[in-house]
Amino acid sequence: MTISNKTKAFLGSSIVPLLLVIVWQYVASSGYVASFILPSPNQIIKTFVTNFVEKEYALHIAASLKRVLIGFLIGTVSGFSFGLLMGLSRTAEKIFGPFFNVIRQVPIIGFIPLIIMWFGVTELPRIIIITVAAFYPVTLNTFAGIRNVPKEYFELSSVYGYKGLKLIRRIVIPAALPSITTGITLALGMSWAMLMAAELFIQTYFGIGTRIQLGRDKFNMALVIVGIITVGALGFFMTTIVEQLAKALDRGKIIRKET
Amino acid sequence: MSLKFLQRFNVKDRLLGLIVPLFVLALWQGAVSQHLFSELLLVPPLTLWNTIIELFRSGDLISNIQVSLNRVFLGFLLGGSAGFILGVGMGLSPVINRALGPLVKVLQQVPELAWMPMIILLFGIDEFARIFFIAIGAFYPMIFNTYQGVSGVPEKYHELARVFDYKSFRYLSKVIIPSALPSIITGIRLSIGLSWMFLVGAELFGTESGVGFLMIMGRQMFQIDVVMAGLVVIGTLGLIINTLLKKFEQFVLRGRVSFDGGAA
Amino acid sequence: MSVAKGTLEIRNLSKSYVVDNNPLQILKNINITFPAGAFVSILGSSGCGKTTLLRIMLGLETSYEGDALIDGEKIEGPGSNRGIVFQDHRLLPWLTVGENVAFGLDKLNRKTKKLLVDEHLKLVGLSGFEGAYPAQLSGGMAQRVAIARALANKPEILLLDEPLGALDALTRMYMQKELERLWEFEKITMIMVTHDVDEAIYLSDKIIIMSSRPGIINKIINIPSSRPRDRASSEFMQIKAEILNEFHLGSEYPFAYAI
Repeated sequence: MTISNKTKAFLGSSIVPLLLVIVWQYVASSGYVASFILPSPNQIIKTFVTNFVEKEYALHIAASLKRVLIGFLIGTVSGFSFGLLMGLSRTAEKIFGPFFNVIRQVPIIGFIPLIIMWFGVTELPRIIIITVAAFYPVTLNTFAGIRNVPKEYFELSSVYGYKGLKLIRRIVIPAALPSITTGITLALGMSWAMLMAAELFIQTYFGIGTRIQLGRDKFNMALVIVGIITVGALGFFMTTIVEQLAKALDRGKIIRKET
Repeated sequence: MSLKFLQRFNVKDRLLGLIVPLFVLALWQGAVSQHLFSELLLVPPLTLWNTIIELFRSGDLISNIQVSLNRVFLGFLLGGSAGFILGVGMGLSPVINRALGPLVKVLQQVPELAWMPMIILLFGIDEFARIFFIAIGAFYPMIFNTYQGVSGVPEKYHELARVFDYKSFRYLSKVIIPSALPSIITGIRLSIGLSWMFLVGAELFGTESGVGFLMIMGRQMFQIDVVMAGLVVIGTLGLIINTLLKKFEQFVLRGRVSFDGGAA
Repeated sequence: MSVAKGTLEIRNLSKSYVVDNNPLQILKNINITFPAGAFVSILGSSGCGKTTLLRIMLGLETSYEGDALIDGEKIEGPGSNRGIVFQDHRLLPWLTVGENVAFGLDKLNRKTKKLLVDEHLKLVGLSGFEGAYPAQLSGGMAQRVAIARALANKPEILLLDEPLGALDALTRMYMQKELERLWEFEKITMIMVTHDVDEAIYLSDKIIIMSSRPGIINKIINIPSSRPRDRASSEFMQIKAEILNEFHLGSEYPFAYAI
């Protein structure tokens, strides 16, 4: 019974995409629309296969992954430290909070022209953009997570003489962990989104964004679509991995949340 | 408004908040006067201020801001209303949800900016392409939050509507939408915020007007003061829009201390 | 006015759910007549199906065996001849008190609506509160607004689903007096589900005692005594002892000694 329900749900959700593909194939093969505007699904699969057979495509993917990983790691670590500082100290919050909140209003993409002028069209501005994208959500969620640690936990800690680093490591961070992992998951998504900005606006030889741009310059829609699918699929896998990691870290916390 | 602000942060706290900006300003001015960087890369704060004023006076800034705001508005209107309608549909009908939900989820995996080359191929770099791109940015938070709100309307309110015979439009406008409103408003706020972000993206792809255009021109002519002025303007407008939206949210949701309706 | 109207009959009613492929009988062979203008309580411990029975009368549950009739006609769904007060007041938090009372009066013109809202807010003692929001009210006030909302529709029958269950003991006794006053004023049938023995005796002409698994009627007790009733009178105590005996909670000594 459950299987048939699941099958039904699956069939239901595949109707629209299936219809789209059929209409797409029909329109593309009918010749009404030029193939560089609307390549057929067939063509895309071919482009996909040739791309992945070429060794070069792997290099593009590797370049993008490396970029995101570096920016994401720097942004996460610094965001965590900054969020921790503002979360633990009200004075630090009062000093840095207002400035942080104002700067945060500037859309990250807006920084691109400025940092290109400062650092040139190099890897550094690309990494900076991705780092900032990861920095904001981790800072905000670490801060909020710490501020929402129940007062009772601090009372308990003082009864048992937990202080300083021990208090932070044993009580504050574990209690704030769900919020922190949410921040890290968001940070990955933001880094991935800003990777595209970094690669599209700061020209580079290697990167998936470069490939998409190349498709546009060559009027090769199939190349563009293959790039889009690659970006979407990689983003999905990475987010899923981080989400699973977050879940694994969060073991046993569900009960606490419900009481 | 200002009174409330003062109550929350007393004068001492607000002075603390000035430390970092003043420090940055001092560092900046110091670096300039010590000639640590070329004037081409870092103009003095005062020059930046003068540039902003000048751009204001000449009318360049105002007209470009208008163009940008117009784009954000149209993009949000297009993407936001599409997201709202589909979100309500998916929230109310399991069939629509099953048909569209997975598709939206798959599309959402693609970073918005990755669509831009495709949009440009399809429409060329024209006004419609830019607005369409902003609309994509505005679409996701709206559909997601509207769906959450509508599908999360408590069963007890559905029952109440049945008891009092509320149907179709009246049901939607008097029960479903008000109940989902906090979530919908969050959607609007995020949606406009992202529209603003992707406006800058859309303009950097090439345009002949808008605040982004000012920055591109500044960069091409190596006028770093213009680029920085553009950044200040974008940030300030973002701050104003965000503040206004928060006020709007407070106004619309006034009276709802606890959303579950108190003792229930 | 509608003096003769408002008779509700339940005939040979049974209802069962399927839980894990096993049928679970909720109500079995229920037969009751609620005479027009009477105050009847349905008393039972939780899980005896009394709320299900009330939802059948309201028209929210429509799949069952047997008949549920109002003035001889089958209940097809919710209708304006029945009002309901839920245990949670179920006021809509985005509407003011006045708008909540007017919730069922949507089809009337503005003037009539205002008249009815004013009249019923006055009736429940909340004149001047029409502009307040539900979140600003205490539990007792919110429940009075809910009663005003139900009465504003001029129902023949008012269904009350543990209406005072969420209130503290003192507010509860006060609200019982209020309910009695409203019942005497409106002269309509009131059917209340409760698990409070004192409340049932204080308010009812007739008490229907149910027991669970499956829900059946154990006993029907008629209370002829005059109103307002004295909670400390020996007659009250005797009825209470009789009811508690039904639940095997009776004292071993007759109540006469205990007084």
